[in-house]
Amino acid sequence: MDVYVRFWGTRGSIPAPGHSTRKFGGNTSCVEIRIGNTLLVCDAGTGIRELGLDLLERGDDALEMHLFFSHMHWDHIQGFPFFVPAYQPSNTLYVYETAPGADRVQRLLHGQMQSDHFPVVFTDLGVFMVARHFDNHRKSSFGEIKVACFEQNHPGTSYAYAFECEGKKVVYATDNEIDLTLENGDRVADHPDELRRPPIEFLRFIEGADLLIADGQYTDEEYLQKVGWGHARANTVVDAAVQAGVEQCAVFHHDPLHNDLRLEQIMHQGRRRAEAHGAGLALFGAREGLELKL
Amino acid sequence: MSGASGKPPKKESEEKTLDGVSPAISQLLRKVRLAWLEQVGGPGAPRELVLQNPEMVIGRSEEADISIGSKLISRKHAVFNKSSTSVRCRDLDSSNGMFLNGTRVHAADLYEGDTVQIGDVTLVFHEGQ
Repeated sequence: MDVYVRFWGTRGSIPAPGHSTRKFGGNTSCVEIRIGNTLLVCDAGTGIRELGLDLLERGDDALEMHLFFSHMHWDHIQGFPFFVPAYQPSNTLYVYETAPGADRVQRLLHGQMQSDHFPVVFTDLGVFMVARHFDNHRKSSFGEIKVACFEQNHPGTSYAYAFECEGKKVVYATDNEIDLTLENGDRVADHPDELRRPPIEFLRFIEGADLLIADGQYTDEEYLQKVGWGHARANTVVDAAVQAGVEQCAVFHHDPLHNDLRLEQIMHQGRRRAEAHGAGLALFGAREGLELKL
Repeated sequence: MSGASGKPPKKESEEKTLDGVSPAISQLLRKVRLAWLEQVGGPGAPRELVLQNPEMVIGRSEEADISIGSKLISRKHAVFNKSSTSVRCRDLDSSNGMFLNGTRVHAADLYEGDTVQIGDVTLVFHEGQ
């Protein structure tokens, strides 16, 4: 089964529209994954608005969508009230909760549509919304698609998702400060060129991915001022991908202060780092509108 | 005198043309802000390919809007679609794929300076003036 991945929002923290960011894009996190006829959506940042408009143009008047949230911070949910397919009663939206029996996601989506924040209330959404839950082993499946989730290091907690089908694997792992979890963190502080070793559990989770989409918001220099803010250094993402045998890595959740030129420089440095580790990793910066076929 | 293909050799001014667009017209089209591709590698390079139509297919087929005689290119390899705000390229399930700045992609919006690799053909995208 062909797997398509399209980036609708790649920015972190806050939308950053403008001429200097138009290549990588200004919308916040939203990624579409299509596996056969199954539509998966990761996060509902502002990018989901344009995804919704595109889905309307595709002409399917009874959409089935599976929506996964890395977490419920603002930049990952603020596009949801503008997701037009959520207003159509003929559509079905499966919203995934990471814990059995939880209703946190729907509660928080409901909360951001209260009248103090937004003129249309949550109950006006016409879509048939169904909560689905991961089991105690943090796994779920539908059809031939298997999904696993992984708890990450982020203020308030975030989750990565691994989607697998017929031997193809896509991992969505944004908002994860793996730098605070490095097994050799003390040594890396003095020797930043040394291979950074994330926890083995994380490496296993992303192991062998055909595509890893990972938060690499900061440069090494910037990170020193932003420790504990919940985001990774791009160089650390490179090292994780190399050690896990990832084929392609899309650096994601771009800092709003990074314009197109700066991001191209960061990706160039990342590719050089992967080469220095002797890896044939295909590394690139996630760009709005970019679509891959795996 | 005829060339290896049996066709008369083209004059230098004709060799840089595409789809009946002469270099002079090509320059004029760029001045009216049409996007264009600068072919910097592969058969026919160097030359300028103006994206004058809303949809232009590139491939080995003579029916392609941009026809390039290379065995590494599929008959209909990729398509460039223009909207009022952007140009989007899409792989037409080609054998050898399409690469954007070195990354294999299925589709992408193009911006000034992007490099599109199709088989042995290298194209640099320009947004026009």
